[in-house]
This record gives sequence, structure tokens and C-alpha cells, in this order.
Amino acid sequence: MKKLTALLLVLAMVFALAACGTTTDNNSGNNAVNNTADNTNDTAGNEGENETPSLSGTMKVVATSESYVTLFDKFTEETGVTVELLSMSSGEVLSKLRAEGGTPSADLWFGGGIDAFMSAKEDGLLEQVNFDASADLAAEYKDSENYWFSKGITIVGFLLNNTLMNELSLTAPASWSDLLDESYAGEIIMSNPAVSGTNYAVVNALLQTMGEEEGWNYFNGLNSNIAYYAKRGSDPSNKVISDEYAIGITYIDGTIEALLEDYDVTIVYPEDGIPWVPEGVAVFKNAENVDAAKYFVEWLFSNDENLQLLAEIDQKTSVKAIKPTMEGIELGYDTGILMTEDLSLFGSERENILAQFETLMGDKAADE
Amino acid sequence: MYLELSHLKKSFGEKTVVRDLSLSLERGELLCILGSSGCGKTTTLNMIGGFLAPDGGRVLLDGEDITAIPPERRPVTTVFQSYGLFPHMTVLQNVLYGLKFQRIRRGEAREKGLRYLDMVGLSDYAGAYIHEISGGQQQRVALARALIVEPKLCLLDEPFSNLDAALRTRMRQELKTLQRELGMTMVFVTHDQEEALILADRMAIMEEGRLVQYDSPLAIYHHPANAFVADFLGLEDLEWRRDGALLKVIRRDTKEEA
Amino acid sequence: MDKKSGGLLRCRLGTAADRLILLLLLGAVCLFVLWPMACILLRSLGDGEGGFSLAAYTEVWQRYRGNLWNSVFVGVLSSLLCTLFSTAAAIFIATRKGWVKAVCMALLLITMVSPPFVSSLAYIQLYGRRGWITYRLLGLSWDPYNCWGVIWMQSISFVPLNALLLIGILTKLDTGSLQAARDLGAKPAAILRDIVLPLMGPGILVSLLLSFIRSLADYGTPVIIGGRFSTIASEIYLQLVGYSDLEKSSAMNMFLLLPAIAAFFLYRYLMGRSDKLAEGSRSRQGRLELSLSRCGAAGIIIIAVSLLFFLMMVLQYGCIFLSGFLKSTKGVYSFTLRNWEELWRLDTATMVRSVVYALIVSLAGTLFAMLFAYYMERRKVPFHSFFDCLATLPYMLPGTCFGIGYILAFNHEPLKLTGTAVIVLANMLFKQLPTATKICSASLTQVPLALERSARDLGGGQLAVLRDVILPSLRPAFLSCFVYNFSSSMTTAGAIIFLINPGKKLAVFKLFDAVYTGDYAVASLIASVIIVIVLAVEGLAYLITWKGGKRRVS
Repeated sequence: MKKLTALLLVLAMVFALAACGTTTDNNSGNNAVNNTADNTNDTAGNEGENETPSLSGTMKVVATSESYVTLFDKFTEETGVTVELLSMSSGEVLSKLRAEGGTPSADLWFGGGIDAFMSAKEDGLLEQVNFDASADLAAEYKDSENYWFSKGITIVGFLLNNTLMNELSLTAPASWSDLLDESYAGEIIMSNPAVSGTNYAVVNALLQTMGEEEGWNYFNGLNSNIAYYAKRGSDPSNKVISDEYAIGITYIDGTIEALLEDYDVTIVYPEDGIPWVPEGVAVFKNAENVDAAKYFVEWLFSNDENLQLLAEIDQKTSVKAIKPTMEGIELGYDTGILMTEDLSLFGSERENILAQFETLMGDKAADE
Repeated sequence: MYLELSHLKKSFGEKTVVRDLSLSLERGELLCILGSSGCGKTTTLNMIGGFLAPDGGRVLLDGEDITAIPPERRPVTTVFQSYGLFPHMTVLQNVLYGLKFQRIRRGEAREKGLRYLDMVGLSDYAGAYIHEISGGQQQRVALARALIVEPKLCLLDEPFSNLDAALRTRMRQELKTLQRELGMTMVFVTHDQEEALILADRMAIMEEGRLVQYDSPLAIYHHPANAFVADFLGLEDLEWRRDGALLKVIRRDTKEEA
Repeated sequence: MDKKSGGLLRCRLGTAADRLILLLLLGAVCLFVLWPMACILLRSLGDGEGGFSLAAYTEVWQRYRGNLWNSVFVGVLSSLLCTLFSTAAAIFIATRKGWVKAVCMALLLITMVSPPFVSSLAYIQLYGRRGWITYRLLGLSWDPYNCWGVIWMQSISFVPLNALLLIGILTKLDTGSLQAARDLGAKPAAILRDIVLPLMGPGILVSLLLSFIRSLADYGTPVIIGGRFSTIASEIYLQLVGYSDLEKSSAMNMFLLLPAIAAFFLYRYLMGRSDKLAEGSRSRQGRLELSLSRCGAAGIIIIAVSLLFFLMMVLQYGCIFLSGFLKSTKGVYSFTLRNWEELWRLDTATMVRSVVYALIVSLAGTLFAMLFAYYMERRKVPFHSFFDCLATLPYMLPGTCFGIGYILAFNHEPLKLTGTAVIVLANMLFKQLPTATKICSASLTQVPLALERSARDLGGGQLAVLRDVILPSLRPAFLSCFVYNFSSSMTTAGAIIFLINPGKKLAVFKLFDAVYTGDYAVASLIASVIIVIVLAVEGLAYLITWKGGKRRVS
């Protein structure tokens, strides 16, 4: 099992490298490599490790994918806590949490759109985790009261099916505003923002950037080009690679980049700004093995080695943005191309935005 | 001859069920095929009805060779042992079913159906469903349903075996009267000696697929062909009296009845 | 004297045991069905902060009436289409013999195993916008992501169970009726129209209603291929997964129950009527003696519809099996064993656990269903129609809700079961109980009342009747019930995602994971392996009961 994972990891990394090559070509203008790793003082982050508490039992983790096994294996090796991993979408986690009414059946929540974490904090379902190294984490990517942290940032772009684009003689969209072009009608697929944290980020970020009125006008226009809003987050990319739709609005990460190898698809980073969403990490309040989970958070963020392993699994460099003091990894993109987002509005506006979006989608459904 | 079976043969796999059976019957007569179970009487009936194709031999009815005609086109109807009534139809609908395939106007058909129901004494039950009437009444529905299409020949496969003794005696009388009135030619299969002797104009006794004796009941009674027939009919113990031309009561004092 | 009192004591003990069994059954149903349902109801009446509110209901009524209408619309059309397919396939198979019959029956059994999501994905692969059939073969530009796709997909996937039910009815048709009709001059077409179809009537009704309720509760199909079209069930899924709004989704469940319960009572009423129709028929036959080719237009339609159905099934399952071995590189397909190797390296513990769980649920569930059917149908215990309806509720709800209900119900002492295997097993058992009970009840009506009476007459108590008469005569039901339970347990979806413990994953869960990450090849392979395992276990079960049956006879 371990061998297989390792093999897959190597394969994935090869793919990712190749993919990175292509993407830098596409956006060479924007991709000024950020070389400002000036903070060399990483010893501070490692101090926490000296006081390893006595831990035992198993830690139950709900994660977005099972690929984090190697990271948790390392944790088990160092602490003796066995880890049981279950993959669940963040919406499912939140529903389950609410139903459990304060008796969570897992200890750690690993990955998933930050909006769900914000809701969970509001409902009082999360445990505060204070540790020294938290001071090193960039304030904009963590909860001010240490209820949740970010393990990385997911960015959003377009995935194009080249075959279909040619067949339908469509020109590749380069920006969000391009998507409004009538020629794309019925060929764009995105996930319902209620289900997909990344697609919620699209809505929230564009509303913040464009302003309420213009923003909603934009989505009304986009709505008439969208074939349908998928009810699962991975649907847009899946539908694009299976030749069902020409354009997918999807999260872009290593797995998407790996698709370039096997499928005739192109990734587009919209030039008028890339929406992004932090992926959360949090400990469940009242969990059976709260101590282990709390220690895991500390363990992960205090030791750059662990973060690096995480970065390798995720095939993302964004941990550097989360922990600027980190050594040995460089941010693979210019933060300037990301949209300016006020994360504090993410949680507070969610209900409101989703309700408006539902009305907007519903009107289209009623037309049919 | 009206009905003529000549050299009928049938076997199922290794087992020969009917061997070289020939007999003939006049119009308007009632033939009883009598034998113990497994003697081939029902198989014979099924070959006449067209549900089984004989391995050899022919069936002639009213001068026509009907051996190869499928049951739905044969001018022959059957009253089955289990009646085969349609549970999803009313009594009247059951009786009228066969008329659907004849060119008869609905009103006319209905009138005829009611007449036949009257004939079997079920006028009051026209609208009832099959599960709502008694076994004897179901029997009569089956009879009316078979007769209404005015077949050239009506076959009855142990029709009274599901009825109690008293009802059986009454039904025999009714059947005989009906058969006489309509002048219907009938073939009746039974394993009940008493029933056969009362009903039959002609009687065929079968044993292991063979026709052992074929004659009028009286003749068989007086001159059983062999020891098997004599034994099978229980003739030593038979007491009977004559009432006109009809046998009315047969008394049998058999020990094995208990 | 001694002997007499001993007998009396045994009789008393028997009665006590009988009461105990009944109490246990009813208690279990209350605990594992009524209590979770009550929790859902309570939640739907909450305002999220512990108060009472009807807000969820008013909102659902105002905003999602359209979805309710969609659900009913899809339900009606799916059940009609599905019943058409099932009836045709059943008649077709019943009139065949030899290898054609064997092949068709095998297909039905294979397609009874329907791994979640994979069938819908295969459907898209075949009939999607760029489907192998619709686009590549026929050059059509059609869009499957709408209500018609959902209706079509649901209709096909409900057929196997319904067709098996109808075949069961056809083989029990009274031969006498068919012979009599033929004898009276009815040609095959007339026999089909006047006798066969009307006598199948009750079965057809059952098929209609069961498919209708099943369609109402099905969320997977509309979620995957509904596009912009959504039903109440898919909206409940969205509310749970997207908005995590338990109040609203609970209230939607209650709305969904309205048409479902109405359909259930219609079912009971019609079944009560049709039971009487079946009373007359006694004789049985292996094959329906009817020449379809001589049945005119109706016969041709039956043959055409069933061939179409079997063709689609062959394509769909062929597609699932094949996908595991295909690799698409820039639009060019090539054969690969890579996925297969990957599968071998998946931990076997998960597979073994799935099989063990499924076996436990099948055996316990089958026994439970038999006993429950007996007490409901035969003994008519007080409030039996209430309990019967109660036990049917899980069938009417989308699996996700039933799962949430279990979390709500069993997350606190003294009933804390969350995180244990028991909650998973109980959830599967009770989700499948309605269908299992129906299978047993149908079989029970074949057991003559006289048998039961004679056992009591000869001195057997209620318990002896159960042990010596009822359970043995349910042997054929045992097999079909077991088969149903096992294949459902192996492919259970919905509820499990909320109940499963991270340390105790099941094979379906691996399947979800593969589907979620878009790895269709691996998903197809897991599905294929599940299908093969289910067929193997079912074959084994068949051999065991068949051999056991033979030994009894000789």
C-alpha cells in the first residue's frame, strides 16, 4: 500500500512538473517567480516539538482525499497515534457535525473550502487550538481566534476541452468577462456554489471585486451560458475530460494539471483575476481524541518538513503564503494575480449569497 | 360415425401412455372413458381436444380429420378438472368468453349467455366473481362456458371430482338431462365406476394405455370382457334396479371403500 | 398427570417465547425506524436553536413546490415506463425456454446488482452528449442532462427486480385458464390480452407503485444526470451537502412522504383486492405456453421492447466492465491492465469487511423479514397495518436522510451507536426490510392456512407452527430475500456516507471515492468486482439451499 502510494506520488509529481511547464508558458507574463524567501529564522517554528505530550489511541480524520496517507503515516511514526482516514466533502462533514449535535465521530477535519469551517466555528463545533508557531502563520489565512487554519490555497480557473473548442469553433476565453460571450451558451459547466467551496469563492470574489450590483449582473449573464450547475465539486473537470462540455469552471490543482497528460485539455488562468479559497484544518470540539488532533495541528504547522511533505502531496506551493517563514519552498505564482478577497466576508455573506444564487439558478430552471 | 379415433398412440419419452386406441361414437351419445389413474384416459382426452399431438393415428369428427387442427380452431370444447375459470371475470363474462371469437352481436351474445346460465340454474349469479360462488356453481359455469359455443363435441375431464358426494349425484343428473336436451355429443373421463355406469351411453374401459373393453354399460355389466374389468367395476357386489331406461341407483358394497 | 403438566408447561413456554419474539420485532422496528423518523420530524419542526418553528415547512412549501411536482412527474413516468419494460421482459422470458431463457435470467440477476453512480456514469458514456451510441454511432446531438434522462435511467435500473417479481407471477398462472381460453377459440393474441395481462394485473400494479416510490426516493440519478432538473430527493441531497440545512432537508423529507404514503395505502388496498383473484389458481407450470410471434402487434411490441431492454443492459454493463480496462489518451482508447493492478493493491480488508457486513445483514435481515411478515400477514397482531406502514417508511426516504436520522437518533447515551458497526448494519437492514418483507409476504400467501391449522390441531403451539410450518415453507423466499439483501448491502449508497467509521470502510466507499476523484476506470473496476462477488455469493447460496432442498426431498 505504501509502495503504491509512493509510486503514485512520484508519477503524479512527474506529471505535475510537465504540467507546470505548460502553464508557465501560457502565463509567462504573470508568473514572475517570487524569490523573496528572506526570513531564514525557522528554528522558532520547531520549538513546539520539544514538548511532545503523551498521546495514544487513534485519531479519526475526515479529509477531502485519501492521498494524505503518507503525511499521517509520518505522524503515526512520530507519535504512535494511529490514524484512520475517511474522505468526505466539506458539506457532508458539516451536515454530519450538525446532526451529531456536539458528539463528533471524528477528531480532525483536514481540507475543504474555508466557508464550511467558518460556519462550523459559528455553530460552536470547532475547538480552539493555540500553539506557539501559529504566530508565524499569515494572519489572513487563519482564524483570528485560532479555531481554524489553512493548509493551502485552492485557486480557480477554466479547463478547456480542445477538441470540442475546435469542433464548435470557439476561441479560448481568457478572462471572466470573456465567459459572457454568447458563443459559449450551453457549453460552460460549473458546480453549484453551495456544494463547491471553490466555486463559492468564484461568486464571492467576483462580487467583492465587481461590487454587488455589477457582480450580480455578471452572474445573471453567465447563468444563460451555463449548461447546468453540477451538484458535485469534481463534476466540471470530469465532464470536460469526458468530452461532454467544452469549458469547466473548476479548482486547479495537481490533479487537474495531471489531466493535461492524458487528455486534450488546456488550463486557463483568467487574466482579470484568479479567485481562491483557503483549505481549512480544524479540530472538532468534544472529539474523543481532541489532544491528538490538537497536537497534529501544532505538529504540522511547527515543522517545515511536515509542511513540505504536505506541499508535495497537494502539489501546491501555496503553503509558503500561509507560513511565510517557511524554508525550502518557493511560491509558484505571483500573489498579484490572485483576486483581492476579504475572507472575513466569506462566512458572514455565505447564506445571503447562496440564497440569491439559488433564485438566479432557479429562474433558469423554470424557463426550461 | 360422428367421432372416430383410429390407432391413436402417444408416449412421453420412454413411457408409452396410449397404445393403438381406436373407437367410434354416434352423434348425441355420451362416451365415458373409465380407468384408474395413470391409465391414459386424460391423455386420450387431450389428444381429442388438441392439447396434445398424437404420435400416430387420427381423430375424425363429423367426417373431418381434425388431428392437426389447434385447439382454438377445433370445434371441440373442454370442461377441465380444475375448471380453468377466469378469476378476473364475472360469471357472465366467463360464459360469454367463447362467443367473442364467433361473429355474434353483443346483445345477442348476452341474451344467449343468460339463457345458458338459466339452463344451469345460475341466473342470479351473472354478475358475481368466481371466488364468490361455490364449487358446484363454478362447475356449472365451466359447463355453460363450454356448451355456449355450440361445439360439435364437448369433453369433460373428471369434472365432478372436486365436489362432495351429494352434489356429485345431483350434477350427474343435471348433466345427463342437459346432454339429452341439447343432443350434445360428449366424452367424459372418470375413474368413478358408478358415475360412468349412470352417465354413459357407451363406455370405454382403459388399462395401461390400452382399450380393454368398449360397449354399452349394460353390455359391459352383463359381459365383462375379462377378470380385470369385472374386478375393476366391482360387479360381484353390484346391486341395481331399473327405472325406465335409466340406471338410477347403483349400490356397491365394497370393503375397500373404508 | 406428570406428562400433562409437562406439556402444559411447554405450551406456556412456547407462548411466552412467541410473545417475546413479537415484542423484540416490534421493539426493533420502533427503535430503528420510528425513533429516527421521529428525530427527523422533530428536527424539521425546530428553528435551529431549540425552539419550535414551522418556518422550514412554509419555506419548503413556497420554494420547492415545483420540485415536489417534478418528483411526482418523474415518478409517474418512470414507473409507467419501467413497468412496460418489466412486463415485456417478464412475458418474454416466461415464454422462452432453453438457453435464451437462461441467458436472459442471468442478465436480470447480474443487473439486479446495481453499484451506485457507476450505472449513471456508464449511461452518460453511452448516451451522453458525446456518448458512444448517441454521438459516435448515431451522430445525434442530444442532451441527456434533463428530466428525460432521469426518467429513462430510472426506468431501466428498476426493471430487474420488477421483472423477477412478474416472472414469479407468470409461472404461477393457472394453466387451466389459459387452456380453457384456447379451447374456447382464443388465439394467442386474445389469450395475452384477455387472460395473461389481466391476471398479471396485481403484479403490474405492485410494480407501478414500488417503482413510483423508489423513484421519489432516488437522489443519485437526478444528481448525476438531472442537469438543471431537480426533484425533491436531489434537492434534499443538495440541502444536506451544500447548505448543511438539516431543518429544511428534514421538512422536505416530510413532504416527500406525502405522495409516498398515499402510494403505499393505494398499494395495500389494491393488494387486498387482488389477493382474492389469486385464490382460485392452483396449478403451476414452468413455462408460459404462448407463442409471442403469433400474438400480432402486442407480441411484436413485447419482443421488441424486451430485446431493446436486454440490449441496453448488455451495453451498460459491458461498458462498466470494459471501462476498467480502457485508458483514454487524447481521445484514443487503448487497453490497459494498470487499473487492474491498482485494484489488487487495494486493501483486501475493506472487501472482506463488506462481504461480512453484507452476509450479516442478509441473514439477519432475511430472518427478521420472514418473522415480521408472518406476524403482520398471518397473525394480524394489533396495529399490524400501522407497523407494516412504519416498516415501509425507510423505502420511501432517500438514503441520505435515513442516515441523518440515524445520526440524530443514536448520538447520545444511552443510545449511543454512532461510530459503531451496529449502526451501519442496522441502517442497511432496516433500509432493506420493506422489500424483503414484501418478498416474504408474497411467499407466505402461498402457504395454505390449513397447513398452519393442522399443525396447531396436532398440538403444536404458535412457536411450533412458526418453526415447523412457516419457516420451512418460506424456503424459496429465503433465497430471493437473501439475494436481494446481499446485493443491496454490497451496493448500499446514501446513508452509509454519514454513518461509516473512518476505520471501518466498505467497498462502496472506495467506489464513491473513485467516482468523486473522477477516476472512472477504477470506479468501474470496483463495481465489476462487487458484481462478481455478489454473483459468486448468490451462486453459493443457491447451491446450498438447492442441495439442502434435495436432501430433504430424498
